[in-house]
Amino acid sequence: MSEGLNYQFLVDTFFVALSGVPIALIITIVSLLIALPLGFLLALTRINRIPVLNRFAQIYVSFVRGTPVIIQIFIIYSSVPLLLASIFEKYNINMNVYDVNPIWYAFIVFSLNTTAILIEVFRSALSTVSKGQLEAAYSVGLTNVQAFRRIIIPQTLVVALPNICTATVNLIKATSLGYAMSLQEITLRAKVAANVGYNYVEAYIDIFLVYLILCSLVEYLFKLYEKRLRRYKAVNV
Amino acid sequence: MEKYFDVTYIVESLPMLLPFLKVTFLVAGLSVLFGTLLGFILAAMKIGNSKIAKKIAYGYTTILRCTPSIVLLFLTYYGIPAIAGNFGVNINDVDKIVFVVITFSLQFAAAMSEVIRTSYESIDKGQFEAAVSVGLSPSQAYRRIIFPQAFVVALPNFGNSLLELMKEGALAYTIGLIDIMGKAELIIGANYNTHALEIYLALAVIYWILSIAIEQLFLKLEKVFSKGKQVIKTT
Repeated sequence: MSEGLNYQFLVDTFFVALSGVPIALIITIVSLLIALPLGFLLALTRINRIPVLNRFAQIYVSFVRGTPVIIQIFIIYSSVPLLLASIFEKYNINMNVYDVNPIWYAFIVFSLNTTAILIEVFRSALSTVSKGQLEAAYSVGLTNVQAFRRIIIPQTLVVALPNICTATVNLIKATSLGYAMSLQEITLRAKVAANVGYNYVEAYIDIFLVYLILCSLVEYLFKLYEKRLRRYKAVNV
Repeated sequence: MEKYFDVTYIVESLPMLLPFLKVTFLVAGLSVLFGTLLGFILAAMKIGNSKIAKKIAYGYTTILRCTPSIVLLFLTYYGIPAIAGNFGVNINDVDKIVFVVITFSLQFAAAMSEVIRTSYESIDKGQFEAAVSVGLSPSQAYRRIIFPQAFVVALPNFGNSLLELMKEGALAYTIGLIDIMGKAELIIGANYNTHALEIYLALAVIYWILSIAIEQLFLKLEKVFSKGKQVIKTT
């Protein structure tokens, strides 16, 4: 144990870990693409108090925020195959459930998870935009869609962006749990490489570095975008 | 034919899981204790005048925020014994809970340092000046004026961090700690990996109830402590 770090392995595994980045990014981007519109719509139902959906969104958010991601992963990963199997059986689809790429389960878990977080983000952001803005937009003749696209959403986005950034970083971090679904992402790849010679310390240093670079990069990009969006910010007098 | 999904497993597993909440609470409690202490130090470094201390504290927060807890967990679990081994100290017999507590204390400290800093900065500087001007010593001013106000501001964020900590704590099973998640894994193993879904659902219910309880508790606490808060009236 006391022979110090294996530097050759450290460097080699760094690139192994790096090769898992695309998968982590794909999951992040797909989840965000699903979660952003869905979160926004459900946030609107929360704000406008649409009877059933409002309640549903509330319970949904409370459940997702109240349980660990790893348990959500396990629940989806053990329930969806059962559902799929019964569906396949019913419609005589000749396909083995175990051949489904785990990345599909990852999409489901992480987009469900991120949706819940974004509902809260958008809800608080939407409530900062005053109602008069919408009324003013109507009064100058904009349609509902136009009013949202040109007036409400830009203002909401400015407020919501820092929180969306946090959600994205958390999402990237959460993809490290994909190993539980045998997903070939950063953590699992490095860990498998480490299994050969028990070089766990080196492997985890590599994983750590990869996530650090990835998340810093994402935070930096969000900062840039935030700067661009700042021109929409309402000036408080 | 055996059923794929059997609700009785949920009900049966609950009494088996609940005793292990103790371990979960122990980890959370100790992590909160050490994490808050370290968080105070970090927040003091951020607020203070020293540029180097500021850089270190902010760097620490950024790095810890960018690390998934599972990676940090394994890094401490494999890393600390390796470092200790280099100095000829054998700590392979140390209980796993120590590593778990170290990991989550480090992580909680990063969150807490931000919570403490923002709540401190939310208190108007005039409060301190006013306190000193009526003859309180600086330490008195901090203790009697600044701290009670900052505490109320910090409370909701502290509650959020605590919830986050408890949920991340579920990952401790990966290094073999038997908390309620670890026990669930054991039960599933004992069932030959069948009926995993029911056990996980039971677990989810426990965590859900727990977090709702904590949330409500903090709402109550906030109400209790903010009774002295003066709301500025706009005329």
